[in-house]
Order: sequence, then C-alpha cells, then structure tokens
Amino acid sequence: MFPNAAQYGQSAPVETSLIELALYGTVALIGAIFFLTILAIITLPLFFGAMYLMELVIRGFQNLVDPVGKYAKLAGLVFRSLRRNLLRTALTYIALFVLTGMLTMLYGVITTIGKMTTDQENSQLVIMSEKFGIPSMMKPGYAANLKGLMRDKLPKEMQPADIDQNFMTWSFVGGTLDPAKMTQENSLFLFALDPDAVTNGMMKEQGLNPEDLGEDGWAEMMRIIDLVKQDKRNIVVGADRLEKIGKKVGDEMKLFGTNYKDIEFECKIVGAFPPGSRMGMNAAMRFDYLIAKLDDYRARTGKDHPVADRCLNLVWVRMPNKAAYQQLAAVVAEPSSFSNPATKMETFSAAIGSFLEPFKDIFWGLKVLIMPAIVVIMCLVIGITITIGVRERWTEMAVMKVMGFQPWQIMTMIVSEAMLIGTFGGMLSTWAVYFLPMAIRSITKAIGVKFAFFDTFHSPWEIVLYGPLLGILVGLIGSALPAWNARKVKVSEVFATVA
Amino acid sequence: MSAIVEVRDLYKSFSRGDEKIDVLMDLTLDVQEGEFLALMGPSGSGKTTLLNLIAGLDSPTEGTIRVGDQIISEKSESELARWRTRNVGFVFQFYNLLPVLTAYENVELPLLLLQLSKAQRKKQVENALSLVGLGDRMTHRPGQLSGGQCQRVGIARAIVTDPTIVVCDEPTGALDAKSANDALNLLGLLRSELGKTILMVTHDPHAAERAQRIVQLEKGRLVGGNPLPALARLN
Repeated sequence: MFPNAAQYGQSAPVETSLIELALYGTVALIGAIFFLTILAIITLPLFFGAMYLMELVIRGFQNLVDPVGKYAKLAGLVFRSLRRNLLRTALTYIALFVLTGMLTMLYGVITTIGKMTTDQENSQLVIMSEKFGIPSMMKPGYAANLKGLMRDKLPKEMQPADIDQNFMTWSFVGGTLDPAKMTQENSLFLFALDPDAVTNGMMKEQGLNPEDLGEDGWAEMMRIIDLVKQDKRNIVVGADRLEKIGKKVGDEMKLFGTNYKDIEFECKIVGAFPPGSRMGMNAAMRFDYLIAKLDDYRARTGKDHPVADRCLNLVWVRMPNKAAYQQLAAVVAEPSSFSNPATKMETFSAAIGSFLEPFKDIFWGLKVLIMPAIVVIMCLVIGITITIGVRERWTEMAVMKVMGFQPWQIMTMIVSEAMLIGTFGGMLSTWAVYFLPMAIRSITKAIGVKFAFFDTFHSPWEIVLYGPLLGILVGLIGSALPAWNARKVKVSEVFATVA
Repeated sequence: MSAIVEVRDLYKSFSRGDEKIDVLMDLTLDVQEGEFLALMGPSGSGKTTLLNLIAGLDSPTEGTIRVGDQIISEKSESELARWRTRNVGFVFQFYNLLPVLTAYENVELPLLLLQLSKAQRKKQVENALSLVGLGDRMTHRPGQLSGGQCQRVGIARAIVTDPTIVVCDEPTGALDAKSANDALNLLGLLRSELGKTILMVTHDPHAAERAQRIVQLEKGRLVGGNPLPALARLN
C-alpha cells in the first residue's frame, strides 16, 4: 500500500474532513462542468458538421427509387426541423454533452474503483502486512520466511511459477535534505525494494509497466534500473518531487532519515519517474542499501537501530489464482507462521476496498442517486427542448395530420429529432472524454493521472458504445411526452384557435 | 349531376365541463360533383365544424356523412387520415405551409403518403404549381413568397393529389383584395377546368358570390341557400 495513505499515516484520505471533501467535490464538479462546456463549444462545429453530412447522405437517398427515396424525404424533414432554431439545438447539444460527459467521468471513476476492488480470478496480487499495527512494520526475516512457507506448505500448482520473480518487499524510508528544518520542499519519501521487482512487473500497479509508460518509457525505465543495480547508492526520484526539492537527475545529495533516525543516506539521482504518474512524487532506493545502512549503524553504535527489527513494511506476492491465495492466507494466519508481530494476508483489491470503506456511502450516492439524477436531467433537457419545438409547430403538426399523416408518423418525426440530438450529443461527449485523454497521453507521452494507489482513472472502452446508446435512450424518453402530445393534436381545435 | 357529398341528420356537440354545447343540429346537405359551394354564417354558427366533419377532420355525434362512395362518419382516425390523403385537399386561411420546405417540397408533401413513383410525383407537383402560376417559384421557401403566392402554393398542395373535394376555410381571409381575387379566380378555374368540387367557408360576401351556391348556417342549422347568381356567371 502507499505510504502516504493509511499504512503510513501521512495525510490519509480517511482523515479528510467532510467539509474538505465537500469543498474538493464542489471544485471538481465546477471544474468538470467548465471543462466539458468548453469542450462542448469546441465540438459544436463537429456536431453541426456531422448533422449536415448525415443530411447530405439522406439527400442522396432521396434520389433513389421509392420507398427509399420517399422515406429519405420524410427523414430530411427531421434535419430541417433541427436546423430551424440553431441556437436552441446548439444549447441542447451543449447541455447533453456536459451531462453525458459528467456521467462518463463518474462511470469511469466507479468502474475503475470497481475493477480495483474486485478480485481477479487469475494473477492474485496479495499483500502481507502486520495484522494489528498501523503502519505495518514487520521483521525483515518475514520475507524469507514467507518464501519458505510458500515452497514448503503450498502444493506446487499453487505456487507462483517463480517465487522470486513474483515477490516484492517494501520498506518505507522518509528522508530530508535539512534535518534542522524539515519541509515539504526538502523531504523525500522512498520505497526501499529490490530493483528486480520493477523488471519483474511487480510495480505494475504503481504505473511502472510498458502499458502505462509506453515502449520508449519502459525502455528508459529499464535503463534506469540497470543504473540503480550498478551502485546501491543510486536512487530514482519522481519528476514532480525532483521539481519540488529543486534537484535534477545526476545530482548527488545526502538524505537524513526521518523514520530511520541517525541514519544518513548518500544518494545519487540516476533517473526520474514520469511526471504526473503515481510515482511522480515518490522515490525508490535499493533495499540492500537500507540494510547496509542499518548494519553501519550497529557497527557505529554497538547496538541495533530501533527500527532495524521492524524495517519490513509490506510484502507483495503475485499468486496464480484465488485458491492459491486463500491457501497461502490460511498458512500465514497460523500462529506458528508469524506470531510476533502477527500478520495478515489480503488481496490488493481487498486492501483498496478496506481503504475505501469510509467512502462507500459517497460511491453509493454517486451510483444510485447522482448518476440516475443526471440521466433524468438529460431527459428533462431534451423533453423541454422538444416540447418548445412542438408547441412552435403545433399548427404544422395539425396541417400534416390534415394531409393524412398518421399519428405514429408525426410521433416518429418528433422522437427522431430528439434521438438525433441525443445520439450526437452522447456520442461526441463520450468519445471526447474517452479519446481526448488518450490522445493527450500519446502526444505528451505522459501517463494518466493517478491518485494514491488507484489505477489510472479512465473510462472503459465500452463507454464509446454506451454514449450514443444513452443519447438514443434519453432522446426516446425525453421526447415521449411531447411526441405523444403532438400525436394527439386535434386538428379542428388547432384551427379553431388559429382562426 | 350526382351528389358527391351527402350529409344526413348531422348532429355535433362538444362538452365543456358538464355543459353540452350543440354546434350542429339535424343538418342535411348535398353537394353536387363539380359544385362550388360557399358556407356562410356568423361566428359560432358551425360552418367550420361542418367543413371539418365533411373533410374527415372530426367525427359527428350523430348522423352520416358520405363523400364519394365512402361513409366517412364511420371511419376510425387512422382510416380517416388515409382517406383524407387521397380524397381531400385543404386550403387554409393562413396558408400553413411548412417554412423549412420549398414551394415544391410543400406541394410534394402529401404525395409522399401515396404509392407514386418519383417521376409521377415530380410531374404532379410541377403541374399543380404551373396551374397556380408558380412554375418559376418552385425552389422558393414560404418566407421568400408573398401572401398571395403562399396561398397559391397552398392551393397547389390541396389539388396535387387530385382529391375528390377541395375544402377551403376562409381562403381569402389573410389576403389583400387583389390576391384574394386571384385566389378566388383560381378556385373558380379549378371547378370549371378540372371539375373540382369545392366547399368554401367564408365571411366575405364578395368571395361567396364566386361560388355557385351559398349555404347559410345559423346556430348550427341550415337556414337557406342561394345557388343562382354565381352559378350563372361561372357557367
């Protein structure tokens, strides 16, 4: 787990007050609305362009033999009706775009969290931590003990293919450049681990993988890991943290341990984690350097460092499947395995689930109240627009009825107008929210915005289909009532009123 | 000449809350094929209601209406809609053209509901527009036409399906004197050249004079007819 979360006790989200949370939520909401409105305005020409193109295609069909040509002419009426009041159509599109965009973003957050808190049947990433202590602090020998237990007590088919390659330990090291005056600007947080853990993909969840970094980024990361392996003093620092502490790659510095008191680390920065990534504000060092420094301390003072026997914070293991994880968890839970301190084993997703427990009402509200409310608002927006349009064309509807148009034909026309705006609004909005971050990431080579130990927040690919479908559905529901009213228009009453 | 419109013992009443308002009472009327009939009467006398009933836009409370060989008073709403497409041409006081469509498209609109080929539609639309003297205004939208021209497009739209009857509700009500005269001439031409049966509701005695027969309605009852002067002149 991440040290700046609950495990390490630094500004953990659980400590965030409700007022702060409401403030962040409001700012995020206003920001999202502003961003989406700008995006909607930018995509307006695209919306009208797409409508125009579609109308051209329909016009092309009008020249075909009947009944295609005939129905194409009737379909053309729908486009012309939408072009009648461009401002209203544009405003409806913008409203639908913004609302669909918000829905897409919320859906992205909820599915990302849902995915992360759902156990994967294959490749179970599990964490061993201290059972009762926060932050978790275990004996360094626990790592070797766990490996031994896995080899001895698990059947072969339940063991990872290569235990060493599916194993990682984390020790959290806090350091400052100025022990006399420790500030955010001179402090650094490091994960002490085996550099091979990165190569073996054990830091995948932290964004250190080819998928998040891209081919070039991953190759660069491998080059940096090689440099770290060359000298145990070599460290990697996140680009954002480097900026904060005013250092750059190649600099050497002395770090004074904050949780390892009286230990000084002489470090050389040999690489940087990408900016904006989950590791952007953190750093990584070799675990054996920490052990070497603890040994130095004992040699220097003649006694063990107070934290030397509790320097292992977390152990990560990638198990082949759920059954294997459950078997290992049972072994770890036995008092004979780890008793002082006792340990627990949980999946990464379960750990996130525990972390999110205080926020479950908020997520429930998002899913059950806010998201349906947005859909209802979308229906109302489109309903009001179509109602105004129908009222304006009340007499025209009556005239069409006089000519012999069937009520269902009039209803179809009205519903089609709504569905057309809904489809384009939904489609362009979800596509923009889905593809724009992808495009930005691919151009800037930056990896996605990550928060704490969460995966990159992005909408799932299926939203590309859901967007237009949502638009169609909203158009259908929103226009149902005005279309029904238009269907029922009493010709004699309309003309009596007109006269 | 045989009666193309036969109205028998017609009653029409509306309900307003608990109140029942009788609009037409015990009305019997025949309209001959190819006749130009004007319906006159004070406001609220029921003339527009009668026109709507004959045009199949409303259903009577009691009585029967036959147009051609169809008893329309027994038809359902959707049957009436289908029937209207082929059998009724409607000319409105305020033209009621669709502003987003050109003159051609406005006239073509009712034809889209019929089983006609594109070529047939084109021919009929062009004929109708030429007949009303707007062959050169086909691509104009209603906003680009004068009131008189709009009404002529409305008339072309009413006759494009070659309907059994043409019903006109105050067709000159929104026109200046010259345009009104042109419109009435056109209606007269439809009767004399094409043999169309025309029923026209009007308040305007001058307009009514152009009809062959004038029928007066008062408080929902027919109070008299005057087929003579106009008939002699138009024939």
